[in-house]
Amino acid sequence: MELKQMLRRIPTLLGSARATMAAFSVRYRMPLVLLLLVGIVAFPHVITGPYYIRVATIMGIYVILASSLNIIIGFTGLFSLGHAAFYGIGAYTSALLATQAGVSFWIALPAAGLVAAAFGALIGVATLRLRAVFLAFTTLGFGEITRIVILNWRSFTRGPLGIAGIPVPRFFGTPFTRVSYWYLVAGLAVITVLAVYRVYHSRIGRALVAIREDELAARSMGIHVFGYKVLAFTMACFFAGIAGSFFAHFQRFISADSFLNTESFTIITMVALGGTGSIVGAVVGAVILTLLPEMFRFLVEFRMVLYGLILIMVIVLKPGGIVGVKGVFEKPKSRRKPWIVEKLTRKPTIPDTTQPQGGTL
Amino acid sequence: MLAQQIINGITQGSLFALLAISFAIVYGTLRLVNFATGSLYMIGAYTSFYVVRHVSSNLFVSLAIAAVVGFVMGLILERLAFKSLRGVSRIASLICTIGFSLFLNELAAVVFGRETRVMPSVHTGTAFRIAGTNIIWLQVIMILVAAVIVIGLQLLLFKTKMGLSIRAVSLDYKTAGLMGINVDRTISFAFGLASACAGVAGVLAAFYYNSVFPVMGTLPGLKSFSAAVFGGLTSIPGAILGGYLLGVIENLAVQVISSGYRDIVGFIILVVFLLVRPRGLLGRKIPM
Repeated sequence: MELKQMLRRIPTLLGSARATMAAFSVRYRMPLVLLLLVGIVAFPHVITGPYYIRVATIMGIYVILASSLNIIIGFTGLFSLGHAAFYGIGAYTSALLATQAGVSFWIALPAAGLVAAAFGALIGVATLRLRAVFLAFTTLGFGEITRIVILNWRSFTRGPLGIAGIPVPRFFGTPFTRVSYWYLVAGLAVITVLAVYRVYHSRIGRALVAIREDELAARSMGIHVFGYKVLAFTMACFFAGIAGSFFAHFQRFISADSFLNTESFTIITMVALGGTGSIVGAVVGAVILTLLPEMFRFLVEFRMVLYGLILIMVIVLKPGGIVGVKGVFEKPKSRRKPWIVEKLTRKPTIPDTTQPQGGTL
Repeated sequence: MLAQQIINGITQGSLFALLAISFAIVYGTLRLVNFATGSLYMIGAYTSFYVVRHVSSNLFVSLAIAAVVGFVMGLILERLAFKSLRGVSRIASLICTIGFSLFLNELAAVVFGRETRVMPSVHTGTAFRIAGTNIIWLQVIMILVAAVIVIGLQLLLFKTKMGLSIRAVSLDYKTAGLMGINVDRTISFAFGLASACAGVAGVLAAFYYNSVFPVMGTLPGLKSFSAAVFGGLTSIPGAILGGYLLGVIENLAVQVISSGYRDIVGFIILVVFLLVRPRGLLGRKIPM
């Protein structure tokens, strides 16, 4: 009995804890951001193990990917299941530029972003007129097409062999070390999150959210729905391409295996877990889902099983994700119960005759 | 050579058609795209692998058992997740089925092992020859099994009370409920039926390709969704037509483009049809 009561109190407790957290983070926003920045700078000097720095760097890549996908899924309410393809396009662009043309990393990085963005715009123009489920499948199909092309265009991408020997980036002549990789990815992640934040709080962001909430209403308010959708898609793909370029130069070997559709699902799980549409949520989701399998090494085998379960649980139990915003998975606004429940629980309405009826004297 | 490709196309088309039917039934009744269809196909294939190993190497025993397993798996999936999802936005339920597909594929990889298991070859004798190409018994059996299932489904849908309920629910489930149809049971049954189709397709694929592996369902699942869209997502005859056409087109395309690119054909058809004619070849106009 005691236990039952305690269990019943958990949601309220969690709710109040979250409210406290939210109030705290609003009140101390600047100190928290400063603390985070200090943490980023100090991290490789405090925890010097190469393994930890490597995990943190990969985490940074996922922060960029999840934040950028959040523009598509969270802000605009579109479902792209092909984000890994743009990540892969960025990685291959950068790797080929560096190995074939000998282009410096600092040029290859933005170039990869631009190429991925160009592909994003192309795919966006072709598919963004489709509705939810069909868009999801077409983008997934595009992901699969990208993988197949990478595997088969041997003269260009070296097919299943992958591209090896991608040069280490140099910073004014000195080659990158583990720590400089971390600083670079942290910098890129911070820039991405800031950019996403700026976009969200701009005219564009408001237009995107309006499209998510009600496309028809947005259109009648004069928002160019299709144009903004393509814009959102292109922006997200740009950041995915940047992440891909960094990944290629960090890993120094890439093959199609790093950009499978499961990778797209991983990123979606991160966004869903954190809370679709929340900037902090995407970061939190990326951090948790990168650290979780590392913290519990026995889970490595079960990694994708875990992701699948998390995805199901989030949607069935907690559509708002950890941060708990009103995201895309939230039930429709009317809050109507499924009709069958409504039918079973509805009480017969008996005309109320106890009150004096108006108009009858 | 051409005849050979067409025969291969029709054989593969049988697999696509069965999976496309599975998509069409679920989409027709629930307005939901079941991404886990490919995983159910994989489960059917693993069922046949273990049936061949421990029970009997007869193809038909595998088919029967896999159909039952598929049906039960479908019911379980429906009970566990989709029931609570009714009334949730469609995209959320799609993402949820993706979750299930990830979960099932990876669970299979952990439980059965990631390596490719080899299936025995059965019925490899030549049945007859058409235009200088051998047609083996297995291909004949596959095409016949698909045909029997298709005819059986049509009978079930148009001659039985349950079929009537399914059709009524697919038209308008609210009104169907008011007419005294048990909507929940009908949807569960339709879901089970769709899953059984996917399971049967998995068994046929396991015997045809002689191999079973955990992610074997992903690509056929995606391609047969293309086939279902191709034929019209709400129409079972459309799904069958789309499946067979996709199989044949894919095999003919190999003549023109390198065989490594064959998997692209389905996606191109998907994109083109979604953009140009979203209702597919035979589907009725649907509010997307």
